[in-house]
Amino acid sequence: MRPLLRTVSAAVLFAGALLATPPAQAQGWDIAKAAAPYKGTQLNVIFLDRPGYRAIIKLLPEFEKQTGIKVNYEIVPYENTREKEVLNFNSKGDLSIALVDLVWIGEFAENGWIVPVSKLSGDAAITDPNLNLKGFFPLLLDAFGSWGGTTYGLPFDNYSGLLFYNKCMLKDAGFDKPPATWDELANTYAPKLTVPAKKQYGYALQSLRGETQSADSFMRMLWPAGGSLLDKSFRSNLGSKDSQAGLQFRQDLMKYMPPGVVSWDHAEAVNAFAQNQVAMITEWSAFYSTVTDPKTSKLGDCLGVAPEPAGAAGRLPALGGFSLAVASQAPEKEQKAAWIFIQWATSEAIAKPYVQAGGVSGRMAVYDDPAIKSAYQFVDPMVASWQKGVPEFRPRFPAWPAVSEVVGEFGSKMMLGELTVEQGAKEIGTRMEAILQKEGYYDGKKKLIQ
Amino acid sequence: MSAAPPRRSYSGYGRFTPLWFLAPAVLALLVIGIYPTLFALVTSLRQYNLTRSRDGFPFIGLANYQQVLSDPTFWETLGRTAKFFLCVMPAEIGLGLGIALLLHQPGLGALRALARVSLVIPLATTYAVVGLLGRLIFNRDFGIANGFIGLFGVPAFDWLGNSAGAFAAICIMDVWQWTPFCALIFLSGLSMVPVEIEEAARLETGSKAALLRNVQLPYLLPGFTAMLILRSADVLKLFDVVFTMTRGGPGAATELISVYIQRVGFRVFDLGTASAQALLLLVITIILARVYIRFFYREIE
Repeated sequence: MRPLLRTVSAAVLFAGALLATPPAQAQGWDIAKAAAPYKGTQLNVIFLDRPGYRAIIKLLPEFEKQTGIKVNYEIVPYENTREKEVLNFNSKGDLSIALVDLVWIGEFAENGWIVPVSKLSGDAAITDPNLNLKGFFPLLLDAFGSWGGTTYGLPFDNYSGLLFYNKCMLKDAGFDKPPATWDELANTYAPKLTVPAKKQYGYALQSLRGETQSADSFMRMLWPAGGSLLDKSFRSNLGSKDSQAGLQFRQDLMKYMPPGVVSWDHAEAVNAFAQNQVAMITEWSAFYSTVTDPKTSKLGDCLGVAPEPAGAAGRLPALGGFSLAVASQAPEKEQKAAWIFIQWATSEAIAKPYVQAGGVSGRMAVYDDPAIKSAYQFVDPMVASWQKGVPEFRPRFPAWPAVSEVVGEFGSKMMLGELTVEQGAKEIGTRMEAILQKEGYYDGKKKLIQ
Repeated sequence: MSAAPPRRSYSGYGRFTPLWFLAPAVLALLVIGIYPTLFALVTSLRQYNLTRSRDGFPFIGLANYQQVLSDPTFWETLGRTAKFFLCVMPAEIGLGLGIALLLHQPGLGALRALARVSLVIPLATTYAVVGLLGRLIFNRDFGIANGFIGLFGVPAFDWLGNSAGAFAAICIMDVWQWTPFCALIFLSGLSMVPVEIEEAARLETGSKAALLRNVQLPYLLPGFTAMLILRSADVLKLFDVVFTMTRGGPGAATELISVYIQRVGFRVFDLGTASAQALLLLVITIILARVYIRFFYREIE
């Protein structure tokens, strides 16, 4: 009897202690104390040459000074990042942190290359009491960091598609506000803004073959029209009336775009906009610093930023971004140090300096700050865009890279007029279903999650 | 008791000495050339997808080859590569021979030396840089290609934005980079023609065509064969220029076979299929080389 009594009373005491501690703990986090056992640990991570990474690099010395943990970053072009990481994880390489694009999360998680957050967040000694996962935009945490209901990564470099427009050009054409719908953009705004003789065009859509074609161009026009890539049973939905309407809309809009957008990447589209050749573009929020910098942009006060226009199915802007996750190949000590770094880089405490250094934080609280709101035009439209969206804007399952290649090829053939919209949709459909068949989605071997 | 055979003094030269001299070269070849090829051969017989490493890498016989041979995209890209080769090779041979003949003319010593040195510049340029240069040269708004055709009153043209233009653009960049190589090989062939034979021929005939065909051509053929072999192998694995310039687009207009293999190997990470494709290319290269030697190569008598 006595042992049982003792256990029960201990459990009650423990529960009471648990209830009592949180307020006391929430006081703040002594990151130096938490990191003390990991002093001198070296972390390896891949970064991109984009504003969000330059911002964290600027703040990095402070972290290293406080914790004694050294972060070695290698800057790699986006197109090679997945290749590098996959090879590194397969050969049990030196990466201690995975940089996860939202479309890689399924692949990385299913291969067991990244560690679920719950495995580390249970350890109070290395977990920030203010971790507050609920403080991230739910859409971002869900789309960038989670797979199959488990959270792996914390949103770090966050993007939403935005409509960048040239206020002066719109004003000259008689418009005092940006288009609210795609229909308006195509039928009211673009015809008036396009003057081919002056090499001036209403709109440009970056459509270079590759992820730019599949994500920025193809998907962007599919969703707002009510279309989608896959139906509920993971068969192609591109033949549906709504999907066809979206793709046909893109085709019709091309007469207001500069010739050759099929070979344009982000750089070309942003540059044409910054040089006053194009009145409107839909681009990632991350390019805000490029179009505001007088060194790279002629826009000055003419720059306007709005949420992407709405379509028949509402406003479903492009969604993209990266999370940071602990790599499971790293030794335990390194994993713990990596977890401390990831929490720091995505924390609420650092959100403001991060935004001021050019990054885009995934924390909600920082955007309520009046100083941030007034200084950055992109904040309001971006926060509006993140209220609602589809996490599977691009399916995040492991088959996406193969599917993306197919969409990239036939999507650009469609734009070139080598195939009609209907033929192109059919070609993509057959090839995509063959890929998904091989993955085992049609014989019940694999759960249908995207 | 028979006398012991006279002891040979140790000279340091034994039965295996020649082997030791060959060993470094053979070893290097094994490590750099043969081992990876064998590895690719084994990989091509396996299901080897790096993003499915949890499924293991089981042997699946010739299934990868079957898949490659029945893949329409493989044949399309191979056909496009052949078309590319047939577009660039005659231009490179024609221009190269012309340049070589000009440089072979006597006189203007210093200028000739300068020209010969500057021929090396395109060859020494990294492929990826050639691709990036191409992106600038063929830019619609500020590229010099449009500036150049503008001199002849041709309206500006969006090279990289349409299929024919992009294909022409990668051909032009390849011709720019490789014509000097052909010129240098032809030039070395021309300089091998014995001076007295050439002088005698010049006395016999005033016709340069006859001189070229009957006297110089035999000396050019070995170099020509080597050039064909090298360029065929090179075009089959041409990747960097195209990737940096057009990434295989627009559509599939510039997707050569190597760009496709890279896509299968490092985007889809299906290394089994990619290895099968690469080995098929190796077979094609070897067959082509035999054909060239059979038809073009002549020993100089």
